[in-house]
Amino acid sequence: MSIWLTYAGMAAVTYAARAIPLLLLRNDPPAWLALWLKYVPPAVFTALIVPAVVTQMGDYGRVLQLGPAVGAAVVGALVAWRTENAIVTVGLGMVAFWLIRLVVG
Amino acid sequence: MSRWATIQQGFLATLVVWPGVAPFGMVYAVSALSAGLSFWETLGMSLIVFAGASQFTAVGMFGSGAHPFSIIATTAIINARHLLLAASTASYIRKSPTWLRALVAFQLTDETYAVGVQRFTQHGGDAWFQLGSNLSLYFVWATSTIIGSLLGALIPNPAALGLDLIFPLTFIAFTVPMLRDRVNLVVAILAAVISVATALVLPGSWYVLTAGILASAVGAWLARRQQLAQMEPINENS
Repeated sequence: MSIWLTYAGMAAVTYAARAIPLLLLRNDPPAWLALWLKYVPPAVFTALIVPAVVTQMGDYGRVLQLGPAVGAAVVGALVAWRTENAIVTVGLGMVAFWLIRLVVG
Repeated sequence: MSRWATIQQGFLATLVVWPGVAPFGMVYAVSALSAGLSFWETLGMSLIVFAGASQFTAVGMFGSGAHPFSIIATTAIINARHLLLAASTASYIRKSPTWLRALVAFQLTDETYAVGVQRFTQHGGDAWFQLGSNLSLYFVWATSTIIGSLLGALIPNPAALGLDLIFPLTFIAFTVPMLRDRVNLVVAILAAVISVATALVLPGSWYVLTAGILASAVGAWLARRQQLAQMEPINENS
């Protein structure tokens, strides 16, 4: 039974993080806040990309690791710039990753 | 457009992130079962908690017999980044009814946040679209958890195949077109530096919060300066 109580606690803290801003921000935000929030997407998106590409979990936290993923990300970025197509970007990025890994070993 | 059609649109627009999510739903299931969780406990966590990274971490902690409170605290730390994603989403859909926003909050994730924001910056906010996107990811996460439980050890390790790269590549596809805007480009470069620096020093996903808050603040400051410069060109010339 206890595992389901743990789930309830995990779900509660997760839901709180997702719900509190969504429920509180309901009126027109002041101009400075609106402008700030406008630039959150490029900042968050980048933060979800770059550490995932250039770092890896080590025994004592994350460490820098510049491997084939970096080359694949560069290829993906160029393809995304040209095509603006997610499927082509992911496809060619993965091909680049496998090729680089094949060559570098 | 009817609500139902908008939900469907959101659902379909999210198909693009399925390939990055499905392999890890399966691996989550395999690691949960091997940590001693039953099938229903494995699926239950996907349905009730619905947060990939923290589910993986929790499985490891269940396996090592961690105290429930430390599992819950760790979950809170990993998912604190959702505060920022939800605030950002709220700025687009705040006019929607409270019950609908409360429902959207249940399944907001990194992936559906990205799909939603992409749509909202071009076509305006729509909570029904976000709900459809959320349901799409919920569906694929639950389904891949079930498939992973059934196939078990037959599943190859997706990290060994490099499939963990699908997630950042998908986000690259979302982000790079935004960088044609000069301020967005500066924000992204700053966010790259701040997020890596934070990730090397702090555990969990604090790096999303630090980069998300600081780099966007600089972006707002730059945009404000541009606005002021355009409003007072006379002073410059006189």
